[in-house]
Amino acid sequence: MIPVALGVTFILFSLLSVTPGDPARLALGEDASEESLNEFRREYGLDRSFLVRYGFFVYNAAVNQDIGRSYVTRRPVAGEMANTFPVTLNLAFGAITFATVLGMTFGIICAIKQYSIFDNVTMVIAMLGISTPIFYLGILFILWFSVRLRWLPSSGFDTLSQRILPWITLSAPSMSIITRMTRSSMLEVIRSDYIRTARAKGQKESVVILKHALQNALIPIVTIIGIQFGLLLGGSILTESVFSIPGVGRLAVEGIKSRDYPIVQGAVLYIAIAYVFINLFVDLLYAWIDPRLRTRYRY
Amino acid sequence: MTQHSEFLLEIRDLRVQFHTDTGLVKAVEGLNFTLKRGEAVGLVGETGAGKTTTALAIMQLIASPPGKITSGQIFFDGKDILTKSEEEKRHIRGKKVAMIFQDPMTSLNPVLTVQEQIAEMIRLHEQVTNKEALEKARAMLQLVGIQPERGPDYPHQFSGGMKQRVVIAIALACNPQLLIADEPTTALDVTIQAQVLELMRELKQHFNTATILITHDLGVVAELCDSVAIMYAGRILEKADARTLYGNPQHPYTQGLFHSIPDLTKNVHRLNTMPGLPPDPTALPPGCCFAPRCQYADEACSANSPDMTEVEPGHFVACFKIQEKNGRQAHG
Repeated sequence: MIPVALGVTFILFSLLSVTPGDPARLALGEDASEESLNEFRREYGLDRSFLVRYGFFVYNAAVNQDIGRSYVTRRPVAGEMANTFPVTLNLAFGAITFATVLGMTFGIICAIKQYSIFDNVTMVIAMLGISTPIFYLGILFILWFSVRLRWLPSSGFDTLSQRILPWITLSAPSMSIITRMTRSSMLEVIRSDYIRTARAKGQKESVVILKHALQNALIPIVTIIGIQFGLLLGGSILTESVFSIPGVGRLAVEGIKSRDYPIVQGAVLYIAIAYVFINLFVDLLYAWIDPRLRTRYRY
Repeated sequence: MTQHSEFLLEIRDLRVQFHTDTGLVKAVEGLNFTLKRGEAVGLVGETGAGKTTTALAIMQLIASPPGKITSGQIFFDGKDILTKSEEEKRHIRGKKVAMIFQDPMTSLNPVLTVQEQIAEMIRLHEQVTNKEALEKARAMLQLVGIQPERGPDYPHQFSGGMKQRVVIAIALACNPQLLIADEPTTALDVTIQAQVLELMRELKQHFNTATILITHDLGVVAELCDSVAIMYAGRILEKADARTLYGNPQHPYTQGLFHSIPDLTKNVHRLNTMPGLPPDPTALPPGCCFAPRCQYADEACSANSPDMTEVEPGHFVACFKIQEKNGRQAHG
C-alpha cells in the first residue's frame, strides 16, 4: 500500500507541477500585491523546486501525519477530507450495493432464461448502460425525475430521497457490467457436470442454482465488482458535480479549478488508499469463496 | 400396477429427440427395455448410440431445450414416471434411482467439501439432523474405502479414482433401488478401473441394487453384469443374459463387435473393424438401422424395422434374418 501511495502522489505531483496557472494568484485574487504573493509562495513552499516540495510532502505525511493545508480555505486537507470523504464513500457504497444486488439478480435470471425476451431486453439495456456516460445519464435523470415528474430532488445528499438519483446514476454502468458478467459466468457453470450431479440428487432447482451454481460463478463476478467499486470512486467525481453533492470528487474538481494542489493531492490519495483496501478485501473474499485458493496458500 | 411389478424398470417405445442447428437428432428411437429387481444389466454400444440419453431419460434429466422425450413410457416400480410432477420426480431422483457420471473430475462441486456433498443427498431424502447426515456421509466414505477423516476435504484434494469413489458414495447414500453407472471407469487408468469395478461389485452385493452399467467395454460387462443389452442408433438390437450372449451372439452387429475384439494369441497387424459408420442420427435409415452396414441385409431390411423376438429362452434379437432362419428351422 505504501508503494502505491508513493507512486500515486509522485505522478500527481508531476502532473500538477506542469499544469499552467499560478496557485498564489488564484488564491489571493487579481488585486494582490507582488509582496503578498511572494509571502504566500514562501509560506506554502511554492518557491522551492518540485523535488524538494515532494520530499517535504512525503516527510510531513509520514512523520507528522500532515498532508498540508488548502491554499484557498487555509484549513488542513485532512479535515476537509474528513468532511467530504464519508459522503463519497456513502455514494459509492450505495451505488455498488445497488449495482451488485440488481446486477446479479438480473444476470441470474438471464442465465436461467437464456434467449428469452427478458434476457434479450436486459442485454440491450445493459449495453446502453455501459455505453452511456454518467454525466449524460445524470442530466437525463434530473430532467425526467426531478424536472418533469417532480418525484425526486435534483441536488444535495442529506436525505434518502436526495440520494436515490445519484446512487442509480452512478450504479448504471457497473450494474450493466455485473449483469453481463453474472450471466456469462452462470451460463458456463450451469452446463457443468456437477450441476447435473446436484440435479441427479433430486435437489430443488432453486437450491441447485443458488447453492451449487452461484458459488462457483461468483469468482469472476467478485473480481468485476471489486474493479467496478474502484471505478465508482473515480466516477463519483462526475456524479457529485452533476448532483451538487459535497463529496471528495466535487472538492477535487474545485481544487483543480483553483490550483489548490494540497486538496487535489489529498483527494487522490484518499481514493487511491480506498482502492487498495478494496482490492485487499476482494482477495480475501476469493479465498473465502474458493477452497482451491485456500489450500494453495496453506502450503 | 401389479401388471408391471415383476420388473423394477420397464421402458416402452421411448423416443428422445434433440433440436440442434444441424437438424433433429433422434438419439433414442423406439427403445424397449426391462430390468428385474436386483438385476445388473450392461448397456453396450458405440459412442452416440443413445446410451447416456437413455440414462438421463430414466433420471428425467434430459436438458430441455434442446432435448425432449417425444413419446414412450418409463415405468419405475409399476408407475409411469413421465406423468409425474416435478416434485414427485425429485423424490425418485437420488432416493430410488441414482446415477454415477462418466467423468469424476468434473462431477463433484469444487467449492463444497465431499462430506457435504454426500450429506446433501442424505438430508434431501431422509429425516435426519445435519449432524446425523454428516455422520452417515463419513460412514459412506468408509464404505467406499476412503478414510472418514478426509470428509472435510475438497474434491481437488482427491485423485481421480478417489473422486469416483466419492461419486459412488453419493449415489449409494440413500440406498437406491436402481443405480445407473454411465461409463464409471472410462476416465480412470486401468489399475484404478479394476479397483472401482471391484468396489462396485462388492457394493452391488451388499445393497442388492439393480444396476444399469453403461459402457463400450465388453470386458467390464462380463465382470459385473447378469445380462447384456446391445444398443445401436437409439435402439436395442440384442438382449440376453451375459453367458448366452457371449457364447452365442446372434445379431450381425453383436457378432461384429465380438469379432473386433483383438485375439491376444494370434499375431495380427491390423485390428478387425466393422465396415461403415453408425448412421447419422439426424437422418436414420427407414428400416433396420443396421441394414446399411449389414452383410446379410436385403430389401426387406431397408423397408421395415424389425421387432425384438425371442430366439431362445431369455435371448431377444431384433433382426429379420435371424427370425427367418429360426422360422425355417422350426418348420423344417
